Amino acid sequence: MTLLRTSGLRAGYGPVTVLHDLELEVNEGEIVVILGANGAGKTTTMRAISGTIPRQGTVELKGADITKLSPDNIVRQGVAQVPQGRGTFPELSVEDNLRAGAITRRDGTSKINADMERWYQQFPRLAERRGQRAGSLSGGEQQMLAIARALMSRPSLLLCDEPSLGLAPLITQELFAVIERLNKEEGLSVLLVEQNANLAMHMASRVYLLETGRIVAQGSAAELSADDSIRKAYLGF
Amino acid sequence: MELFLQRLFDGLSQGSVYSLIALGLVIIYRGTGHLNFAQGEMALFCTYVVYQCGEWGLPIGISLIIGMGVGFALGAVTEVTLIRPVAKKSQFAVFIVTLGLFQFLNWLDGAIWKDQPLPNSGVGSNQTSFPSLFPNKPTDFVNVFGAAIKLQSIGVFLLVLVLFGLLYLLFNYTKLGLAMNAVASNAESAKLVGIRTNMVLMVSWGLAAAIGALGGVVFAGINSNVNLGLMFTVFIYASAAATLGGFDSPGGAVLGGLIIGVIENMAAGYADEWVGQELKVGVALVVILVVLLVKPSGLFGTAKVERV
Repeated sequence: MTLLRTSGLRAGYGPVTVLHDLELEVNEGEIVVILGANGAGKTTTMRAISGTIPRQGTVELKGADITKLSPDNIVRQGVAQVPQGRGTFPELSVEDNLRAGAITRRDGTSKINADMERWYQQFPRLAERRGQRAGSLSGGEQQMLAIARALMSRPSLLLCDEPSLGLAPLITQELFAVIERLNKEEGLSVLLVEQNANLAMHMASRVYLLETGRIVAQGSAAELSADDSIRKAYLGF
Repeated sequence: MELFLQRLFDGLSQGSVYSLIALGLVIIYRGTGHLNFAQGEMALFCTYVVYQCGEWGLPIGISLIIGMGVGFALGAVTEVTLIRPVAKKSQFAVFIVTLGLFQFLNWLDGAIWKDQPLPNSGVGSNQTSFPSLFPNKPTDFVNVFGAAIKLQSIGVFLLVLVLFGLLYLLFNYTKLGLAMNAVASNAESAKLVGIRTNMVLMVSWGLAAAIGALGGVVFAGINSNVNLGLMFTVFIYASAAATLGGFDSPGGAVLGGLIIGVIENMAAGYADEWVGQELKVGVALVVILVVLLVKPSGLFGTAKVERV
């Protein structure tokens, strides 16, 4: 079943249009990866979906039009975004970061605390540092915190904006393993943008190629890596 | 010794007023990084409103609640109509707008209540002096080691402590406080976790102005009257207090205010020949300079450190 669909999605900054009529789909239970080089419009795509920049066209979640909604209401509809880079609250403790992630929930403290413990189990290093200020964590830990924080809102769709940015390859691998596990065990649907094609295509159900704000190719990871020109441009072999 | 204690308590009650105005400055600064130049004048407007309520025969408790309510509304409306539209442009634009608001509010007070200390029997005020929140007859004092400490001084000091306690609870144990902290830390991410940042900013400005109103009323009570120049020096001292305590720390603002109040009174009292009553505003300037040179983030402010 289709979870997210964008049609004719256009967005940009001021007079500059970055995305041109983007057509995307994420089905329930999928990990969809958008590959693109620097400046292809990856972050803009994420922002256009989460509503943090003005957009045209339509964004539908489970068939309902969410184009007109404000960012905080889009979170309430079940779309959580892990922003690019260090999107945590650096002055707040790890625990308060997670609480802030659950701020839209109205199902009571005990359930929120239970979820917090659950993510502490998934990310043991966050549990060790729960009282520390988020700004004092390493890049990889902050990225995990950003993911855990997004999950605290119990989203049906997780948007990940280049989680590998600035991380060592081993840390990135670990991070992607977590995302894959969440997808398999919890049925979490994920839309992830990346430049790191090798690692990301590994776990993708489907892949889109983004070039200067347009989708230029799509298909399964196997299909795309079979295409010679794509393999050379994005996978480097 | 008696003189020392007396000056200490006078300083603490004076400093409590600075703390209240500084708290307002800090609450707004944390949310948006803006320094609200009109903080003192917003408080003054509300103080006039409280005077007016007194003229209509309302008891000071009720008048204070009305004054703080007006303050909350004034702050919230200011944020939505004046600050939000220009905040997108630049910090500097906001600075100019708050400066304009400072002028406008003072002019408005003058237009409504005229340039005179109130209450004033000459214009037919029903009240004899600005109502104090605490007993302030000449006989209302307690003896502490031979020093006569005014009940009003003690009351004002306790009031600030209670208010700080309430704010501590707000910031640490409520959803609104968490949202305010999150917006202060990273507004972009705050939106992405579903915080209504506009609402948070509006409430922050309202809260800051309401606390400021309390400060104005307390100060007018100590001063026995309200006049157009009442908040000028208070605002300068409050800025010094916020700088000293750290512009993003409510606890720092309270402590900073108290310290400045005490330093001011001690300097004026003990170094009478070269500080005296006339030059004591200079004390605030010295404090600001020293803090900015030695510890720019203030005593309790968070220095911006980022791991790369």
